[in-house]
Amino acid sequence: MPSRASRSLAAVWAILRKECRSEWRTRYGLNSALLFAVTALVAVSFGAGRLGDRVDVLAAMLWIVLLFATLASLSHAFVREVEGQTLSMLRRVASPTEIAIGKLLFNLLFLAVLEIVTVPLFLVLMGAPPPRWGTFLALLALGSLALAVSSTLLGALIAQSRGRGALFAGVSFPVLLPVLAAAVSGTRAQWQQLPAGGEIRLLAAYGAALMAASLLLYDHLWEE
Amino acid sequence: MILRGLLLVWIAACIVLAFVWAPLVPVLADTTRVLYFHIPSAWVTVLALGWSMVASLLYLRTRRIEFDDHAATAAELGLLFCIAATVSGAFWAKAMWGAYWNWDPRETSIFFLLLIYVAYLALRSAIDEPTRRARLAAIYSAIAFVSVPFLMFVVPRIYFSLHPDPLINTRGKVDMDPRIRVVFYGMLLGFTALFVWLLRLRVRLLRLERARVDIAPVADRALA
Amino acid sequence: MEIKLEGNGLGHRYGRGRGLEPLSFALSGPGVVAVTGPNGSGKSTLLRILAGLLRPSAGASTLRVERCEFERAERRKVTGWASPDLHFYGELTVRENLEFAAEARGLTGRSVAVREVVGSVGLTSRLDDRAAALSTGMHQRLRLAFALLGSPPILLLDEPGSHLDAAGKGHLVEVLTRVRATTRVVLATNDPGERDLAEQSIALAGRGLGDTA
Repeated sequence: MPSRASRSLAAVWAILRKECRSEWRTRYGLNSALLFAVTALVAVSFGAGRLGDRVDVLAAMLWIVLLFATLASLSHAFVREVEGQTLSMLRRVASPTEIAIGKLLFNLLFLAVLEIVTVPLFLVLMGAPPPRWGTFLALLALGSLALAVSSTLLGALIAQSRGRGALFAGVSFPVLLPVLAAAVSGTRAQWQQLPAGGEIRLLAAYGAALMAASLLLYDHLWEE
Repeated sequence: MILRGLLLVWIAACIVLAFVWAPLVPVLADTTRVLYFHIPSAWVTVLALGWSMVASLLYLRTRRIEFDDHAATAAELGLLFCIAATVSGAFWAKAMWGAYWNWDPRETSIFFLLLIYVAYLALRSAIDEPTRRARLAAIYSAIAFVSVPFLMFVVPRIYFSLHPDPLINTRGKVDMDPRIRVVFYGMLLGFTALFVWLLRLRVRLLRLERARVDIAPVADRALA
Repeated sequence: MEIKLEGNGLGHRYGRGRGLEPLSFALSGPGVVAVTGPNGSGKSTLLRILAGLLRPSAGASTLRVERCEFERAERRKVTGWASPDLHFYGELTVRENLEFAAEARGLTGRSVAVREVVGSVGLTSRLDDRAAALSTGMHQRLRLAFALLGSPPILLLDEPGSHLDAAGKGHLVEVLTRVRATTRVVLATNDPGERDLAEQSIALAGRGLGDTA
């Protein structure tokens, strides 16, 4: 008899695979997200030019592009469910937490793909100095985690309202402001050869706090 | 009735005393007076947010709609006081330091609270069904609750690295003359009482509105 | 199998105006019960509450299978629900939709279970068609297949015969005849033919949502 935990894991895995398969079949979400991110990037590059020495502006620009890409695309995981009216079916086969974690993992994967394309492009286009890879990647990973955790919960929230993209951006911004602040500060520090330990710790702590709060709140989300 | 009259008299007295009786703080000169309005407004903003969040959590725990009334009303009032605090703060900053906005820690914090209020109220306005609105707004409130301490922690860090010459906020260092203290605390009490009174008034109104909606169809049938 | 389904002053209100007037009932053991009533009297609402999808604003419901009580959150494990509100992933095939459901619910012998259930509603020929390509009638059959997945002890069917052609209805009757000895079926319907498939019936009176008097 499979244990409860392994059954939950199986459900999460099933949901993740379903999301990937749906995304692959329609490819709507990823395409438009990539387009948006690259457009934002090109706009910044075109407008600001190569900023090799201005690491403070570089750090800010990088995270603004990532933030905007997140706000433009991560809500669609749930919005698609609402538009297809498949939420009822989903709720019949898995618990709210399993659904949430499945969607979160998908959003993380989504962000990872987005960043694999966007970040190198950014570094090249903007003439950024070589980053301290360990710190840089840690900041990217933890920042992205926080972005994804917040977006998964808030995406589920606004999917049940009349609002869409603009409302999602509006409600996400206050929650993501600490992430933006810490990530920008840390990214700048690593380019200035300064320690970024504090920022990394903050991002990790915030991500963990958001995760913990989300897990407690998901059961209330679809109670109707 | 009597209490309301008392409140009116109290606040009026405080205002008069603020202009006539309390001395000026040397460093602040004529701008001293703002302190009697700006700080109590900011205080009520924080109080309102705190109460709104607590009420939201209580709603999730008990599902009693009165808590949602409290959460919503506290947010609406909090927004008003927040705007008052932000605007009065901006004018004060202009008078003291020559610029309306500096992104110094306090200004950033109050702006952040403003964002939370606006996002919360925008979310509420995007959901029509009362139970769902109460539940989803409460969930958002809980997440915002998590973000507040993190932002408060992060704000001094970004500020000090972006603006190397710290503009020390003299308010905290004011050595308060006893007369100033009297008026100040008097005003603080007055503002708090004002908030509580308005809160209870509106919550009562919401409750009556709900009762009317319930009775209306029965009454119509009885009359038909 | 011991099955108990009870409602105690169960009611629900959507915003202004009533959805479901307070209702009390007690059903025990397998069998088919029809829930009837005018449009908006709360048939779908009742089924959603029993399925655990909706928290009622008044009263409570109890669901017990083999002495185990199932709270709202757990009811999806022992109930099969089919309703006009149930939709599937259009970009996935019938097989993928059902196998996903089976996998997420932790059913063993997934592909066998899916094939069985698809066979009982007559959708076998459409297994590898995308759900978006199905007609409304076929879609309805898919809903029934979904509800039957895992042979749950309780079936909550909201207007199961809607959009079904003669063959589809035949499958429905076949299924109900087969399961009525082991399953508690609650059928929400206004169709007299479906009503006749039931041994008992619960009539919902009440204003419902449509009545704005």
